[in-house]
Amino acid sequence: MAENVIELEGVGLTLRSRAGDIEILKGVDLRVAQGETVAIVGPSGSGKTSLLMVMAGLERATSGSARVAGHELGGLDEDALARVRSAAIGIVFQSFHLVPTMTAHENVALPLEFRGIAGARERARGALDEVGLGGRLEHYPAQLSGGEQQRVALARALVSQPRLLLADEPTGNLDGATGRQVIDLILGLGRRHGATLVLVTHDEALAARCSRVLRMTDGCIVADTGSRTAGVGTAAPVGDRTGATA
Amino acid sequence: MRTEAIAAPREPVAGGTAYGRIVGLGLGELARSLSGFLILIACIALGVAVIAGIGSLSDALRAGFERQGKVLLGGDVTLARPHRRATDPERAWMTQQGRLSETATLRSMARRLDGAEQVLVEVKGVDDAYPLAGEVRLAGDADLRQALAGLGAIVEPILLERLGLKVGDRLQLGRSQIEIRALLAGEPDKIADRFTVGPRVLVSLATLAASGLAEPGGLVRWRYAMDLPPAPGNEALDAFRARVKADLPESGFGVTDRSNPSPSLSRTLDQLRQFLTLIGLAALIIGGVGVANAMASYVDRRRKVIATMRSLGASGRQIFTLHLVQVLALAAIGIAIGLTLGLLIPPAVDRAIAGVLPVRAEVTVSAGTMALAAGYGLLVALLFSLWPLGRAAEIRAAALFRDEVAPESRWPAWPVVAATLAIGLTLAGLAVATSESRAVALYFWLGVAVVLVVFPWLGSAVAWTARHIPRPKRPEIALALGSIGAPGGLTRSVVLSLGTGLSLLSAVTLIDTSIVRELQTRLPANSPDYFLLDIPTEELASLRTLITRRSAQAELHEAPMLRGRLVALEGRPADQIKAPPEAQWVLRGDRGLSYAETVPEGSKVVAGAWWPAGYQGEPLVSFEAELAHHLKLSVGDQVTVNVLGRNVTARIANLREVHWENLGINFVMVFSPNVLQAAPHNLLATVSLPSSFTLAEEAQLSRDIGKAHPAVTVIRVKDAIDAFNVVLGKIMTAVRVAGSVTLLAGALVLAGALATAQRRRIKLAVILKALGGTRRQILTMHLAEYLVLALATAGIAMLVGAAGAWAATTFLLKVQFSFSLAAVLQSLLVAIVLVVAFGLAGTWQVLRAPPVPYLRSEGA
Repeated sequence: MAENVIELEGVGLTLRSRAGDIEILKGVDLRVAQGETVAIVGPSGSGKTSLLMVMAGLERATSGSARVAGHELGGLDEDALARVRSAAIGIVFQSFHLVPTMTAHENVALPLEFRGIAGARERARGALDEVGLGGRLEHYPAQLSGGEQQRVALARALVSQPRLLLADEPTGNLDGATGRQVIDLILGLGRRHGATLVLVTHDEALAARCSRVLRMTDGCIVADTGSRTAGVGTAAPVGDRTGATA
Repeated sequence: MRTEAIAAPREPVAGGTAYGRIVGLGLGELARSLSGFLILIACIALGVAVIAGIGSLSDALRAGFERQGKVLLGGDVTLARPHRRATDPERAWMTQQGRLSETATLRSMARRLDGAEQVLVEVKGVDDAYPLAGEVRLAGDADLRQALAGLGAIVEPILLERLGLKVGDRLQLGRSQIEIRALLAGEPDKIADRFTVGPRVLVSLATLAASGLAEPGGLVRWRYAMDLPPAPGNEALDAFRARVKADLPESGFGVTDRSNPSPSLSRTLDQLRQFLTLIGLAALIIGGVGVANAMASYVDRRRKVIATMRSLGASGRQIFTLHLVQVLALAAIGIAIGLTLGLLIPPAVDRAIAGVLPVRAEVTVSAGTMALAAGYGLLVALLFSLWPLGRAAEIRAAALFRDEVAPESRWPAWPVVAATLAIGLTLAGLAVATSESRAVALYFWLGVAVVLVVFPWLGSAVAWTARHIPRPKRPEIALALGSIGAPGGLTRSVVLSLGTGLSLLSAVTLIDTSIVRELQTRLPANSPDYFLLDIPTEELASLRTLITRRSAQAELHEAPMLRGRLVALEGRPADQIKAPPEAQWVLRGDRGLSYAETVPEGSKVVAGAWWPAGYQGEPLVSFEAELAHHLKLSVGDQVTVNVLGRNVTARIANLREVHWENLGINFVMVFSPNVLQAAPHNLLATVSLPSSFTLAEEAQLSRDIGKAHPAVTVIRVKDAIDAFNVVLGKIMTAVRVAGSVTLLAGALVLAGALATAQRRRIKLAVILKALGGTRRQILTMHLAEYLVLALATAGIAMLVGAAGAWAATTFLLKVQFSFSLAAVLQSLLVAIVLVVAFGLAGTWQVLRAPPVPYLRSEGA
């Protein structure tokens, strides 16, 4: 049985607001094994992105436990979480979030440089070659198209050879054809690097290309289909419910 | 074609009601987002407060002068002249005018009887009628008349401290030994006398006469205070002046009345007011940059809202009006706060330095002062906000669906550009028109242009450099340089806002250093060590013997010295001549006059010719060349001076270039000997001692001169320079404090710029955290950015400040420019403290910000 990269147990996320507490995630249990490609789908406000952010250590679960890449995230301070991300997690955002004052090459080298890894620039060049942007090393984000920016973001996410690649609506800001190219790259490169992929999407066709699809509603995983591996804590009951609601 | 050009004629409701609704809408929106404009309001309030405060203080002092004028002057009117006591007919004329009091003031030395110590003092001899107004306050329950009776004296406590004496002891004044009977606690008419350098010694006129100090030729100023019956209005005062002109035409008396008891102090006050108002205006203009930044960022944040309004049918003009209403409301709040604070400045200053001011400063509301401050505030607010508002009016509905990556960058419509230009010119015109010295106001506007053009350019240069230097290895430093080089970054704002204030401070420090160094270390080797005043002509030979017996190398140069007043140039009365500010002093009050057989040392004839030896023809005078140029005088012109109550008209025979800096004896006007030789006068002398002379020997010589020549006043040049440096130091501190206001305005702009950039900085920090950056790495990045910005700004401020100080010292003050490490360190320290402290205060928030809201896609 493959090792689990993600182990969530009873993860809840409650945010305080003036209007009162808002329960975003309601006791989510989830296990994702090394090498899986998982799509999280669901309506807006169902908690998809929040779940992804908990996995990334960018949002702290207010209850339950989140173990990612072998680290119990709840016990780590902010800097330790950052170190976990730089070593084991790559993230791709819908809005790319490139550093606007840095070239494509510098953006991609940044995670390695934060870790003080020698040869960061060479590895960054290699990563950009992989996404087909070897010729645009010195371009600034504003000089690149949306698709190109997302490919730089992908190169940046993968340059550290992470065990886990998280993508939040990676094609949301791209047109259909460009989006497909980017997804091909994400899936292809993720596989090549042996990374586990979790992506949030609205696009059912894209979700269908993943080995497993989680469906969320109102802060809960209500369906988990196509799981190739055992060990998904709530697979059976959720599967039942999926059957009931599909 | 612009949308509103089409839309405007179609607006069916573009009447008053529609605009009334817009005004309501604008104010309503503003009320909900007022907290976002606190810095904008503070920027306007600060400058307005300074201008209103300075104006109110000046008004309060002036009102105090007018209210207490009679006491400050010692009577309703005074007549004063040097050397010559009023003649019997003159005294009879004065007695006819009203009650009369006579006083005489002079500088002399007060000595311990054992000759161990001597101090330069300001002696004032008074008659029995003194004071006509107010009262002389004495320590304890001493009585004025009893204290002054016989050879009694009242002295300021500091004199006793310096001489080591106490009340009841006696001291030597001229040839008399006088008894210290009481201590002076307050003198009503102190400001009516000349600028005093030593402690006051108050004696009776009889005591003064006994001392031999007031004999003809001595530098005595005789002053006659009169109480005019019945209490006259200003017309009566004018009538009195006219009577003096008619009845005592050649008396040479200077007339002062209670409406302006100290014209020189009033003039200083006016000049100070103008200078400080310009500083306030500078602060307001720097604050204006904050206004522009705040409005630009407000408009930018509201692009979608404005586009929505446009899509709902609002015209560009309506959008402009809506935002203009908001700017006007914000300006009104800032102005109201500024005026209120300004009104509180006079009582605050009064409380802080009550002893220093000649009159009490109370709250004074002058419509003119308040209107000027409010006007400046409004003009600056409009000048700096019309441009961003004009651009808001150009935002089209298309902005709703256009990608924000390429926002349109259009110029505002031409009426907005024209209005901005017109307001700028009005502001410039107002500042020039309200300054006495047009040149200063013009220099100021040149400075503003430098600030608004040169500093932004230098800011861009710093950003360009940051973009083009090789990328450092450490990602934190590379990110810091990236932020500095980013087109919309903080660099220009910081360089502009802090650079201005810092340049001013650097310039002040460098000018200060240059003057002090000039005086302390650059005195020519041949500059004298002592000035001797009031040497009776007949004592010169024995004085010379006394000095040269001590040292054969000692040099004594003497010159005759009288005081007189310029009454006419080319037959035109001096009080009707409009001279440039730098030459006005020559036309006012008493001037030192001299005569010489040959060209005085340290002077060079640059036009005309010196008179031949033994010249006996028509009266001739040699005039200082630069002042002659300012007064438009040339060789052959006639000048009339009043000396000893007599008008003397002389023809200018030549113009002299004078090297004042070697501190030799020199006068603006030097006459041919036949003009003044016969008048009773004393001598002024300089003494240069060989460098081998010790301090103890100097002190002994000075005491011996005092003993042998009791009428002679001995002034050590080094002491005089030290005393001057103390005064200069105080002035420079005051200028520095005033200059700090511009720095404070800069700090406000900086705070505003940082606040505007905060969201962008948080977003970047969050991205870096997501990529594995630790808080320490983000902190290092911010620190590096702020340090580099502070260093660059301090460096630029040093360069601009040094250039300004160099220009001021070289062209205006004519002293050699000196560089100082203190100025560099001061600039650096202030820049680092401000930028790093303000910046890192924001970083704390950046590090604490939750990442998710910034990472989620908008609208996702």
